[in-house]
Amino acid sequence: MDFLYSYIVFAEIYVLLGLSTNLLVGIVGIFSVSQAAVFGVGAYVVAHFLMASTPLSFIPSLVIAAACCVALNILVTLPSLRVSGDYFVVTSFGIQLLATAVFTNWATGTGGANGLPGIPPPDVFGLSIETTQQYMLLCTVGAGLGCLCFYLIMRAPFGRLLRAIREDETAVAAAGKNVLRAKVSAAALAGAFAGTAGGFYATFLSFIDPSSFDLDASILLLTMVVVGGARTLAGSIVGPFLLLALPQLLTLVDIPTTIAAAARQLIYGVLLILFMLFRPQGLAGEKL
Amino acid sequence: MLALQLLATGLVTGCALGVVAISFSLVYATTKIFHVAHAGIYTLGGYLAWSLVVRGAPLVIAVVVPIAACTALGALIQVGLYAKLEQRRATHLVVLIASLGTLAVIQNIVAAVYTPNILQFPIPWSSRVVSFGPVRLTYTQLLTIVVSLAAYVGTMWFAHRTILGKRIRAVASNPMLADITRLQPHTVYIYVIAIASALVCLPGILVPLDLGLQPYNGVTPLLTATIAMIAGGVGSITGAFVLSVAIAVVQNLSLLVMPGEWSIGVTFFIFVIFMLFRPTGLFSAAR
Repeated sequence: MDFLYSYIVFAEIYVLLGLSTNLLVGIVGIFSVSQAAVFGVGAYVVAHFLMASTPLSFIPSLVIAAACCVALNILVTLPSLRVSGDYFVVTSFGIQLLATAVFTNWATGTGGANGLPGIPPPDVFGLSIETTQQYMLLCTVGAGLGCLCFYLIMRAPFGRLLRAIREDETAVAAAGKNVLRAKVSAAALAGAFAGTAGGFYATFLSFIDPSSFDLDASILLLTMVVVGGARTLAGSIVGPFLLLALPQLLTLVDIPTTIAAAARQLIYGVLLILFMLFRPQGLAGEKL
Repeated sequence: MLALQLLATGLVTGCALGVVAISFSLVYATTKIFHVAHAGIYTLGGYLAWSLVVRGAPLVIAVVVPIAACTALGALIQVGLYAKLEQRRATHLVVLIASLGTLAVIQNIVAAVYTPNILQFPIPWSSRVVSFGPVRLTYTQLLTIVVSLAAYVGTMWFAHRTILGKRIRAVASNPMLADITRLQPHTVYIYVIAIASALVCLPGILVPLDLGLQPYNGVTPLLTATIAMIAGGVGSITGAFVLSVAIAVVQNLSLLVMPGEWSIGVTFFIFVIFMLFRPTGLFSAAR
């Protein structure tokens, strides 16, 4: 039963990440492969504050992590989006590689390649979360709030503005809207989602290392959104649940463990190509 | 003295990177596709050469066969993927995601076949050293400089003196007009990606001769090369090459003051500076 619970917890964490990616890639139409880097920053920040000599409790750490990720995303998107979309592609690749370098090499802050063990379990308003079942409830609340947030934003004028930008940027600018500000705000919001997800991830696993936040992780996130379906709430929920079940299915097939990771990534790549060719709207999304 | 040595290694890396940048620039300026899968072709070329060398094939074959294979793969990506997507009026974003998917496929096929561990070429002469005063370079590094410069000159000649080169530049500067004047942009796109894939094989084989092969090693060079291309001005072959050398030299000289793990940070810093102050690049006026 614990196995099922932890699957649900992971899926819910990835739903938050999926919302973040969907907001950026699906709704505004900014290609980004640095989502995992932001996710990692969130995880490391939360771990840092929970393990500090005078530890903060979970919720404040989560808020600080989200704030850090928002700041990071604004800092990253502002200069490149000012110029053009393809510059942001370079920027996001750069941030992803840079973040991996920092996570791996800054041994005093992040534990380096060995990772950061012993992150304490979260406590919510004095209530300590110990079992997987309790954690699942916490994550469900978190992911539920995220989904609600996403839904409300999409219905708000701001959401309409973002979708309009995706359709025709020039028209939006001509209508007197500030396109750059809207894009950067969307990126900031995406950062908040990813940072929060990072906090949940770090405390649930109680161990984090750079391999969870590398380029492959970003590709996985993109695959989740593409398979689930871009631009819809349902898409960002379906994608993570489906793709996280995939490794379990792969264990049924007899693949040597040495190439299991490569085989998994290979499938993600194939999925990306096939969905782009034959079903760009994904399973439950809208036209990308 | 260390500075001189670092300058020399920077020049070597920069020349190899320059070829990556030229090839990427050809594709990007012509097709307007941000061809991320190019990093996969770069990696694949090196691995194919390695398998041939290990099986005792003569060096000429070990260079020509990977180039031919990558050329074919490049053309296949254009015909089977990018052209199909364009037919379906896919957005820029969709093409980019498909390209990233292709990169993941190539990289992970390589990782599954050859294991993700680092592989060295079993060629003894490649690490023999020649000294120029205080500077020591290996045969491979000298070869890299010679081949890269030849590739640069060759590309310049090709782009400016041959019919196909002129046709490519025409399509790059105005696809609509090129279509009307029957230059057939879609055929040109296939040629361009095929040629770029062949070109990128050269550094793809030469760099691993020196540093060894790893399946996921293609992304960083491609990123640095795209930064050089942007900093040099999109569409300018000279700009891409010169800036690649400059970036690699700065990167190597930065080793004097900080450890090598952070060199990606240096590259990225250069990119941010360009984005803020000269987003069109240095050589853009020369188009």
